[in-house]
Amino acid sequence: MVELLAQSFANGIIIGALYGLAAVGLSLIFGVMKILNIAHGEFLMLGGYAAFWIFTLTNIDPFLSLPLVAIGLFLLGAGIYKLLFSGVARLQGELRMNSSLLVAFGLCLIIPQVATVLWTGDERAITPVYSGTAFEVLGIRFGYVPMAGLLVAVVVTFGLQIFLSKTYFGKSVRGTAENWKAARLMGINVDRTYLLTFALGAAIAGVSGILVGLTQVLLPMVGMSWTLKALIVLVLAGMGSIGGTLVAGIIIGVAEAVSHIFIGPYAIVVGLVIFLLILMFRPQGLFGKA
Amino acid sequence: MILEVQNLSKAFGGLMAIKQVDFTVDEGQIAGLIGPNGAGKTTLFNLIIGLLKPDTGKITFDGKDITGLAPHRICQSGIARTFQLTRSFMHMTALQNVMVGWVYGGGEASSMKQARVESERILEFTGLGGKYLSAAAMLGLVDRKRLEVARALATKPKLLLLDEMMAGLNPTEMEDAMQLVKRVNESGVTVIVVEHVMKAVLGLSKRVIVISTGEKIAEGTPQEVVRNKQVIEAYLGEEQYSLD
Amino acid sequence: MVKNWKKLALGGVIVLVALVPLMTQRTDFLTWFTLILLYITLSQSWNIIGGYAGQINLGHVAFFGVGYLAARYLWLFGVPLPLALLAGAVAAPLLALIVGAPVFRLRGVYFIIGTLVFAEILKHIAWTAIPIASVLPAEYLTAYSLVPRYYLSLIVAILAVAVVYVISKSKLGLGMMAVREDEDAARTSGVSILKCKLSAFIISTALAGLAGGVFAYYATGAYAGSVFEPIWTFDSVLIVFVGGAGTVIGPIIGSVFFVLLQQLLAVYLPGGFHLVVFGVMFILVVLYLPGGMVELMGKRRR
Repeated sequence: MVELLAQSFANGIIIGALYGLAAVGLSLIFGVMKILNIAHGEFLMLGGYAAFWIFTLTNIDPFLSLPLVAIGLFLLGAGIYKLLFSGVARLQGELRMNSSLLVAFGLCLIIPQVATVLWTGDERAITPVYSGTAFEVLGIRFGYVPMAGLLVAVVVTFGLQIFLSKTYFGKSVRGTAENWKAARLMGINVDRTYLLTFALGAAIAGVSGILVGLTQVLLPMVGMSWTLKALIVLVLAGMGSIGGTLVAGIIIGVAEAVSHIFIGPYAIVVGLVIFLLILMFRPQGLFGKA
Repeated sequence: MILEVQNLSKAFGGLMAIKQVDFTVDEGQIAGLIGPNGAGKTTLFNLIIGLLKPDTGKITFDGKDITGLAPHRICQSGIARTFQLTRSFMHMTALQNVMVGWVYGGGEASSMKQARVESERILEFTGLGGKYLSAAAMLGLVDRKRLEVARALATKPKLLLLDEMMAGLNPTEMEDAMQLVKRVNESGVTVIVVEHVMKAVLGLSKRVIVISTGEKIAEGTPQEVVRNKQVIEAYLGEEQYSLD
Repeated sequence: MVKNWKKLALGGVIVLVALVPLMTQRTDFLTWFTLILLYITLSQSWNIIGGYAGQINLGHVAFFGVGYLAARYLWLFGVPLPLALLAGAVAAPLLALIVGAPVFRLRGVYFIIGTLVFAEILKHIAWTAIPIASVLPAEYLTAYSLVPRYYLSLIVAILAVAVVYVISKSKLGLGMMAVREDEDAARTSGVSILKCKLSAFIISTALAGLAGGVFAYYATGAYAGSVFEPIWTFDSVLIVFVGGAGTVIGPIIGSVFFVLLQQLLAVYLPGGFHLVVFGVMFILVVLYLPGGMVELMGKRRR
């Protein structure tokens, strides 16, 4: 039993990091521009498929094609923002949130269908030669690929943290997030900041997608369930802490993995229930400001 | 007196928006509520109408304690309000806007047909005859202000709170608006006007209450208030508001 | 004169639609019509909460599913169909009241996502707790005819449209629309936000539950989980927005287009492509044409 628990714990941390990374991109966009991009999972899916096809057609290792996919999703995100969300970003408050949510909702319906036409509904997985290899510590099995995924998640999260706190652009993003009117007055180009933030969020989603492709399966329909996971983590973490988002992801991952031992297939409901409970009783999340 | 506000206070976070405000308004009056920007006039309205709950204090209306009641109850008790930035029901027709007020705020059950007839009458009264079936979004600013008054009147109020009705109006429109307020008052409704435009306040009200940074600093006839040293000082930073 | 003409035309349409099974034996035509009528009911039920009351409830399928389960199992257990349908139409609002109450206290985006998550929870439970598909027993299968399904779908659709029509002309409709437009302005005009939202919710879910019952009678075999899949909600939302949210006729037009497009495109493209077309139209409506097709056609009967 103890071994099972320990293994579940380890697995939970790894998948949780994935949840966390998926949420980080979503949190960035929501925190800066108050747009809840529920098509986030679609970017994730596209990133995964991009790495899959690069790997299948050119044999380039998915970890190596990672920067390429990130750039690709960055550009795609920028394009989609420009086309669909730039007008919405001019609205205020609840109208902006609701309208952007509806537009993103439209994307959730369109993108998976287009993906199905292009790539069929077959399951895909990115399986380089070394997938499936693992090492053992104290009887717990750690796969090399999932561990690499964990590493990528931590590095990207950390990198984003540094970017936001140390670089000029990162600081302008934070300034815009806090008070876009003041930011504009200080000479920050708010529209461009929004565009780049959205694109960055999409890029991070794309990277998450590669990790999903490596550790799980890719389907055109997989976007929505990952968006939901990201939302659960986002609500649990609250706004204001990138690192906190990753931690919240790990909490959810562990909660699901461990509860699987006791309630089996119902474990998937755990995250969803946590989501509703947090929304109702502690809406600022674990790390957000009240 | 129809409205009595006692020791009213409201804080937002650490900021005292309204600090121990007392005043009364007599029935049938038009009272003015003035003060520099950010003084808390709209907050005061929100407290009276129930959109905000006071931290301390008591509000008595028509003999009843209405402190802490829900806004729709307060409306049904007889207080109506217009908003500074007009908040009409944009995707509904002018007629439907007013009917909402009649059906829900009027206090007595009525049929839809009756509501329609009465609402048309009120729209005429406020100068919107012929625009019943226009969507509120299609109306210009002046008409939307009329519409807000019409909707408020449909709730059969004993007290009407008008929040900066004159903002954005040219002199002719302002004259029309002042006439409308007088007509409303003559029909038996007590009115409190929040205004920045002194001409309107002085022209309409018999009694003026002055609020600055959340506190009442003066009360009296318009002539008395205008000469009050504290009031002049409070407005000193505001060049556009001359006191004559 | 004009009013009589409209009533006559409406009567004519209903009579024509009622005669369809007598005019064709083709099961595909009958299926299309039955589905259109089902979608009319489902989308009109969402129209009440989303179009008129302005509450974007993305968990609508939960009530469709609950109605389906109640009706299906009661009916297969021997309960007369009308009672089974009634049970479905009652079970759904019951669920709404019990579980919906806390979710309804959420505001804005949180409400939208919260309702989606709520329905997802039910979906997972349905798939996991009832993994075996419910298939009609042999006697039912051999006696299966689309015709009674068609007529049931028709009657329920007429009921749904009638309910929406009555609401649109009623005091409740005024209140719901006021809530949609501006809650604070509605409050200060005497509207009890809670009462209006709750009423809209109950009527909406009751109709959704009834639609679920219709589907329970229609489906020869279905997995319990499949009736809780969010696509049912999304279809309703698409139809309402594209057809014209907050209008009586919008969801009718939307449903017709939706099913026809779905069936026609399915011939050339993988099963879900109609969603791309509707998705694009949906985005266009949200960004540029809030009145949907009804606005496009110049009629704004609200």
